[in-house]
Amino acid sequence: MRVVIPDETKVRFRYPARAVGIAGAVAMIVSILLPWSYGSDALDDMTFYGAPSPLQLFFVILPVLALLLLAVPLVGKQRLGRWAKALAWNTSAKTASLAALGVVVVALAAIAIELGGLINVEPGGWVALVGAVLAVAATLFLPDSPEPTLDRLKSPRWLQITVIAVLMAVLLFTAAYALSLDDAGDFLVFAAFAVGIVLVLRQVGAFAWLGLAAANNNRVLVLSAFVVAFAFPFTQNGSDANMSIASQVLIFAATALGLNIVVGLVGLLDLGYIAFLGAGAFTAAVLSESAFATIDFHPPFIVTVLIAGTVASLLGLLIGAPTLRVSGDYLAIVTLAFGEIFRITMNNLDGSDGPNLTNGSSGIPGIPDLNLFGFDFGDPHVILGVDIGRFANYYWLMLVVIAMIIVVFMNLNYSRIGRGWVAIREDELAAEAMGVNTFALKLLAFAGGAFLAGVAGAVKAHHDVSVTPEQYVFLESAFLLAAVVLGGMGTVTGVLIGATILKLLPEKLRFFSDYRLLLFGLLMVFMMRFRPEGIIADERRQLEFHAEDEELATDVEEDLITHHAHFNPERKGFEL
Amino acid sequence: MELFFQQLINGLSLGSLYALIAVGYTVVYGIVQLINFAHGEIFMIGAFGAYATWMVLGQPTDWSAPLSILVLLPVMIIGGIIASVTVALLTERLAYRPLRNAPRLAPLISAIGVSVFLQEFVRLFYGRIPGFPDAKSAIPFPVVHGISGEIIQLGGVTIQMSAVFTVGALVVCTVFLWFFVNRTKTGRAMVATSQDPDTARLMGINVDRVIMAAFAVGAGLAAIAGVAHGLSYGNIGFRMGFLAGLKAFTAAVLGGIGNINGAVVGGLVLGVTEAMATTFIPGQFGSSAWKDVWAFVLLILVLVFRPQGLLGAKVVDRA
Repeated sequence: MRVVIPDETKVRFRYPARAVGIAGAVAMIVSILLPWSYGSDALDDMTFYGAPSPLQLFFVILPVLALLLLAVPLVGKQRLGRWAKALAWNTSAKTASLAALGVVVVALAAIAIELGGLINVEPGGWVALVGAVLAVAATLFLPDSPEPTLDRLKSPRWLQITVIAVLMAVLLFTAAYALSLDDAGDFLVFAAFAVGIVLVLRQVGAFAWLGLAAANNNRVLVLSAFVVAFAFPFTQNGSDANMSIASQVLIFAATALGLNIVVGLVGLLDLGYIAFLGAGAFTAAVLSESAFATIDFHPPFIVTVLIAGTVASLLGLLIGAPTLRVSGDYLAIVTLAFGEIFRITMNNLDGSDGPNLTNGSSGIPGIPDLNLFGFDFGDPHVILGVDIGRFANYYWLMLVVIAMIIVVFMNLNYSRIGRGWVAIREDELAAEAMGVNTFALKLLAFAGGAFLAGVAGAVKAHHDVSVTPEQYVFLESAFLLAAVVLGGMGTVTGVLIGATILKLLPEKLRFFSDYRLLLFGLLMVFMMRFRPEGIIADERRQLEFHAEDEELATDVEEDLITHHAHFNPERKGFEL
Repeated sequence: MELFFQQLINGLSLGSLYALIAVGYTVVYGIVQLINFAHGEIFMIGAFGAYATWMVLGQPTDWSAPLSILVLLPVMIIGGIIASVTVALLTERLAYRPLRNAPRLAPLISAIGVSVFLQEFVRLFYGRIPGFPDAKSAIPFPVVHGISGEIIQLGGVTIQMSAVFTVGALVVCTVFLWFFVNRTKTGRAMVATSQDPDTARLMGINVDRVIMAAFAVGAGLAAIAGVAHGLSYGNIGFRMGFLAGLKAFTAAVLGGIGNINGAVVGGLVLGVTEAMATTFIPGQFGSSAWKDVWAFVLLILVLVFRPQGLLGAKVVDRA
């Protein structure tokens, strides 16, 4: 929906509109001092006068931003100098108002559903709603601001690094807080707030600035991201419930990153990728110390993980070698068929339909915890006064695995191999004509991706304690693919975000679980229709999906040139 | 020898089912080069549409055999075709047409989404129609007197009447397809479009309409297959389209994708291979638990040794 208001009208109404907008924002700010809900059971108890709940306090950030964006230009735009010109004041205020409206609507809906009817919404809720509607309506009447140019401002190095560090800390806090919300309503309100903040920041131009800062301080960014991820278990006070989700997310993300090489970089659609994860998991299971393991050979995990990866990549070669010569569409179906072959075979190797290797559909239970260099992953322990449970151990292990995958991925992306892959993805015939050995490169990607999945599978076997064929069905492959597509094919951040969303949302929205797959199907269709490049777009990829966009094309070209300034051919790699 | 003929009959019946579905894959692929991943679900919807028609007719269980075969069955088939064609055209319009010029991955991923969506939609909402059974588990398919459970004994070979229906349906549909493709304007426009869409458009062919026709024909045959499936196996379920669709696609590739006759031949070959594999492969690997594996192994072997398929004159080279 796009409301078009003629420019003359906007100019005529700019002062009254600003006044109304400010009034709306103030109304929203005041509303948190009033109760929103009649009963204390809804959301996080919004029944008090003068004592806002945590969610209300989060919410108020949005109207405060709107208020600042609307009011500051009236009083001190001149004094702000170059900053004033760099911000898109009016448009940002509009986004902030819209985001606030979104949060209010979600919150009121949650109150109505949880307590049974809108009758349970107290005056505060209505004041907030009216304020938000006023602010949105008023900001629609403000003249559009020019594009934000925050990224063109020179900013000192220390500022960039501080902002990155603060941002990471906020991220850690947000993740911990979001996970601590057990109530689906709370979670949805908070999610709406988080999405709103992200949209406002984008509109202000903060992301463009951040992107630049991140590019300038790549090392700091990556390091601080890992420090934050590493610190996450310390925020959980030894609670295993959330750590279990977090470690599952990481296993899923590691697998999705492997698939990302195959689909995102090389453009080979693999619909049976879960089979490689399964191959790794079953290998680790039959070689483990479990009483149900069928092979009497129990090497240490370091060896097992290598065997698991090798078995998976051998399967990858087995399936890839014949089918990578024929083209893409067939590969999709053959890999799908392979996924089914794998599942059926694991089901059948039960001693009656075939040799006993996997115990058939009951799988291999009772896999003991990992033991690396004498350290038992099942033992909880205390670090810095915080209880660290079993899942936290696996979480850290997966973090290390992911870090390795990312390093490999980043270096490959800008290496000769990586550029060969992208060339194949964009035009295989042209790539071949330029002397790229397309078959070998495709096979390498396929086997390499399978190896990563095998490694993740080996950890998963110990993490899950049991391995059964039904964990490795086609739908799981579809989920992996969706994580890659949703986040943004070919990007690391995007895939991590996609994997987190796809694993976290179902855990937090359990009341919705019956409709989960329905929504998942719709999401795939809508994603392809409206944003095929995913949440975080790889620029080259974006260009493929929007071939007619000339402006984007020039942007990408400039970007590639700057990237190549960083690129050091001597090192045959990209500097991290 | 009796066993051989018995399995041949079983294989032909199974193969006819695959062939009816495979035609939908091959026709659509021949024109838009899209693997319509959701086609298996169209087949499932055909079966559920036929069931819904039976419900609307007042769940007739006591109609005599001639009345059942001559009135009930055709009406159910028409109901199934209406349901499947409607859904197929809707998905084409909403999910695939907007992506026609997008990179090749996009429509395929969209098709996976459609497939999951349709399965879940039937699972969640079919039982919400007043009086309808819950579709979360398999639903027993209506009994059509004269076909369901009836057998013909030919020497030592047992032939199910449902198998006769399936094979008969395939024969009728093949004749209809031949006529449609060679003798009607739309059919010839389809051939022209699959050979060269741009030139076809220059010749005044409405390509959008041709694509819709392709989806509709495929969906119609899939609905007939859905009814045949219900009659042969006695029940239908929201998941029935996944494996059947995958097998039918295998059949289409086996015969040479894009080639309608190939789809029919491929379906029959695949069906017979599966039936024979469960009987004549010795040892544990010949048990019926492995039959799907042999079907997919056949797919991979075909792609290695004859990627253009058994009858595939059309060279498929799509990246």
